[in-house]
Amino acid sequence: MPHDVTMPQLGMAQDAGKIVSWLKSPGDAVSKGDALFEVETDKATMEVEAQADGFLTGVSAAEGDDVPVGQVIARISDSAEDDDAPEAAEPAPAPAASGAGDLPEGHRVTMPQLGMAQDSGLLVTWLKAPGDEVAVEDVLFEVETDKSTMEVEAGRKGWLAATLAEAGEEVPVGQPVAIISDAKPDAPVARSVKDGAAKPAAAEAQGQAEPAPAQPTAPKPAAPVAAGGRILASPKARRLALEQGLDLGRLAEAGHPQPFHVADLEVLRAMPERGASVAPAVAAAARRLTARAAEDGVAGFADWAEAQGLTRDAVLAGLAGASLGRDGAVVVAVERFGAVTVFDVPQGRALSGVTPSEDAPDLLVRDLRGTRLASVEMGAEDVPVLTVTAEGDGLSITLECAAGQLDGPEAIRLLSEFAGRVEQPLRHLL
Amino acid sequence: MREITLSQAVNEALAEEMRRDPTVFILGEDVAEAGTPFKVLSGLVEEFGTDRVIDTPISEPGFVGLAVGAAMTGARPVVDLMFGDFIYLVMDQLCNQAAKQHYMSGGKLTVPMVLRTNLGATRRSAAQHSQSLQALVAHIPGLKVALPSSAYEAKGLMKTAIRDNNPVVIFEDKLMYQDKAPVPEEEYLIPFGEANVKREGRDITLIATSSMVQVAEKAAELLAQEGIEAEVIDPRTIVPLDEKTLLDSVKKTSRAIVIDEGHQSYGVTAEIASRLNEKAFYHLDAPVLRMGAMDVPVPFSPALEDLTVPTPEGVVENARKLCAGELIHAA
Amino acid sequence: MAKAKTNTEDYLRMYRQMVRIRTFEDNANQLYLSAKMPGLTHMYSGEEAVAVGICEALTDDDRITSTHRGHGHCVAKGAEFKEMFCELLGKAEGYCRGKGGSMHIADQSHGNLGANAIVGGSMGIATGSALRAKLQGKDDVTVCFFGDGATAQGLWYEVMNMAALWNLPVIYACENNGYSEYTKTEEIAAGSIMARAEAFGIEAHQVDGQDVLAVNELTQKLVARARKGEGPFFMELMTYRYHGHHVGDINRAYYRSKEEETDWKDNRDPIIRFRAFLVEQGIATEEEIEAMNAEIEKDATEAVAYAEKAPYPPAHEVDMHVFAD
Repeated sequence: MPHDVTMPQLGMAQDAGKIVSWLKSPGDAVSKGDALFEVETDKATMEVEAQADGFLTGVSAAEGDDVPVGQVIARISDSAEDDDAPEAAEPAPAPAASGAGDLPEGHRVTMPQLGMAQDSGLLVTWLKAPGDEVAVEDVLFEVETDKSTMEVEAGRKGWLAATLAEAGEEVPVGQPVAIISDAKPDAPVARSVKDGAAKPAAAEAQGQAEPAPAQPTAPKPAAPVAAGGRILASPKARRLALEQGLDLGRLAEAGHPQPFHVADLEVLRAMPERGASVAPAVAAAARRLTARAAEDGVAGFADWAEAQGLTRDAVLAGLAGASLGRDGAVVVAVERFGAVTVFDVPQGRALSGVTPSEDAPDLLVRDLRGTRLASVEMGAEDVPVLTVTAEGDGLSITLECAAGQLDGPEAIRLLSEFAGRVEQPLRHLL
Repeated sequence: MREITLSQAVNEALAEEMRRDPTVFILGEDVAEAGTPFKVLSGLVEEFGTDRVIDTPISEPGFVGLAVGAAMTGARPVVDLMFGDFIYLVMDQLCNQAAKQHYMSGGKLTVPMVLRTNLGATRRSAAQHSQSLQALVAHIPGLKVALPSSAYEAKGLMKTAIRDNNPVVIFEDKLMYQDKAPVPEEEYLIPFGEANVKREGRDITLIATSSMVQVAEKAAELLAQEGIEAEVIDPRTIVPLDEKTLLDSVKKTSRAIVIDEGHQSYGVTAEIASRLNEKAFYHLDAPVLRMGAMDVPVPFSPALEDLTVPTPEGVVENARKLCAGELIHAA
Repeated sequence: MAKAKTNTEDYLRMYRQMVRIRTFEDNANQLYLSAKMPGLTHMYSGEEAVAVGICEALTDDDRITSTHRGHGHCVAKGAEFKEMFCELLGKAEGYCRGKGGSMHIADQSHGNLGANAIVGGSMGIATGSALRAKLQGKDDVTVCFFGDGATAQGLWYEVMNMAALWNLPVIYACENNGYSEYTKTEEIAAGSIMARAEAFGIEAHQVDGQDVLAVNELTQKLVARARKGEGPFFMELMTYRYHGHHVGDINRAYYRSKEEETDWKDNRDPIIRFRAFLVEQGIATEEEIEAMNAEIEKDATEAVAYAEKAPYPPAHEVDMHVFAD
């Protein structure tokens, strides 16, 4: 049975040795203990002895070669003729970067990292062909990342000996894309990333083969809004708030002293209900007020107004705009059966000043009197909304707005004023 | 029930086990006629003779090494290390030899030995006779570590230690040797890894070892006067550690202070606090606080030494802050 | 050569054990050189007569403590190749289920309390084993192997003191191979090593560690006396290690010469010497010895092959054996 001759492990931290010289030639008869070759490590030069009697065969490493520890470099066989090359070295030598294989020698141009969080680039097009002579600043190829397209230069003078990706392929950052040789290549190579030149990519794909664990599907409530940024709260307080759908942001907004502990959740529970289940930020801070008018005064009044050249929408806009009680003109939109008309409402009570407008409205009146709707809860919109619905002989009027659009007193004033005016429009004029 | 001192309790435990098992013997400096400087072993040599209560030269690594060898070959030695501070002298024998034999031999060799020694400051013994070094040995896989907090605990834990098939280090608080506690006449063992809930409470958990259990109990009394109900738990052994009892308590109270007389940094308190953080984080309503000895060599002057160890008043102050929801050490 | 013994079987077994140690080490060395063995190891080659001469005077009830250079002690005390090679390669069937490796092989079934990777680390253990024997009225003896380098450890003086005070059945066997790691012994040891033991009133002997019969004869006498309570004893065994401090310690010229190594190997080798004696005395023929060598070589080759194929311990054993039940 042939005996393998391997590069010995000589030092504590040595992983390769250089063969200084062979002291026996292939075919020589050797005895156990004969010096076979000389090895140089970081520490010293030493002779390596034969571990068996026989003939030296299958020598696969030459003088001057650096050989990884454990690699088979020859054999001691029973006959001088047994000169098969040794089996694949064991342990296998470390694979050369990116599966060099039969690639030409030369400088490797790699896929550049262009963005901070970029891990591959799309090779858009080659501007040089394998075998071309290239100068330092010649553009080799174009790369597209999430941000932009850029040209990659050769970076050195020589010949484009190999292209290792095709146009249209994604190449991981750092992986060789081209090889530039110093001499004109005999057989320039053109490969695809798929041709195995892409070892790192393959390894990566394998590493990702296992599906990522499923993310928990429980919906996460919106992050609480803190008045001044972060909310300080104990882990338990946070957990209970999460489990019970309580929003610590409301405590923060209310100026309750931080850090919040479990006891503070009692304060939060005692705060008025505000549809915590509705979610998003705007809804969380919404106002909704409802008023009743004993009779629909607008219906009759509108006939009169039309005679004065005012549409019924203009009347509603005028009544609503005046109810806001602001200094200066306001813009009021009126929506009826999906159609929106916008009016400029000047300060004062004169309905005659109400004219069509194209400005952004300050207030929306949604006229639902002709529909079957009895009550609405739509949530706040971009501007405060007054919704008018029929209720028996009278009207129901709902004001909805975000907390930031109108404060409490303003909202109450607007709604009561408007309710009063639609009940008795004539009072408006007096 | 009769009350005996911690010293008597240890003495009884050793005597009972030596009567029960002829392979148990005691080895150490001045353990025979002198009965140790603290007189814990007084009388044992009269009953068991100098073959089983063996005075050694002042050679700590040597006699601990002997104990390891005797334990590996069929004896159950109890080594007496006069002061816990001397544990530095025996680190190789304890940590490289005793702790690793069972593992290194793939389970073939065992080292059933007990190293009894002590801990505790405020005896005005200065820097080399006052340390509480249980964290050093608790860090080493293969060593069990027991910290009795009363005469009752000392007896039950010692008997269990002697019967255990592993190296066990028992630290007795040298200030507690004369402390009395009810100890039954009948035989009993205290299993390792079972914490003792000394007092129940709903507001905060005080986890304390050795004499710090007394500190915690005193603190709990003071807190009760303010309406704060503290739960006091003595883990009894820190290796193995009864995590479940500690976690269950903290899940109930949401707050904890860990008190141990070893140095605070990288210590027993840090380890337990860390486990509570990892395993009960979402139940915590306040940060878990550590209270250990100050990170200074133990000073001699009483005026200074008393400042270095946790006190009931210090525990009360911290507990009050935690229960009031004060911002603790937040940025 | 020491006076011939009459028991042919004993002689052949001693020769056989020495060759087994040498063969084991040659194979272990090859495993390391070919990068098949993890970690590193310390070769016993050259010191075989010490381990064999001493262990052949002991029974399975007698204990030994061993050192980082411990394969020889382990083989001499009765261990099997297969379990030893498995341990060296970190395999589940090793003596320590792969958890100890070269430097911690323990074989309790033959009284080997284990190798120790702390120089001098087992001196307390050996003395404690002897204390246990005395306390329990047993007549077993413990031999504490250590090298000349370990005589610099304070622990030895502490335990010799107690062993002498209490007449413990322990024999301190100092394998003086002339080098404390990479340093000549005379550079680390003041005065006489023998005198150090004598200072405690311990009877000390120096013996040629390359002469297995001389070592065996002295050990027989000391063991018999130790059993009767006349211990402890000290033996200084003058010997030599052929390899460096550890495998990989190849550039040794700065601490010892090639000529010195060649002289010990060619002129004082314990196996060559004893083989010549066996032939000369007509105890064995060259052919019989060659056959024995070949059989041992075959055993070792098979054991190595077995160990190479043997499975590693399963992952769940990683936290097994931290504590005993």
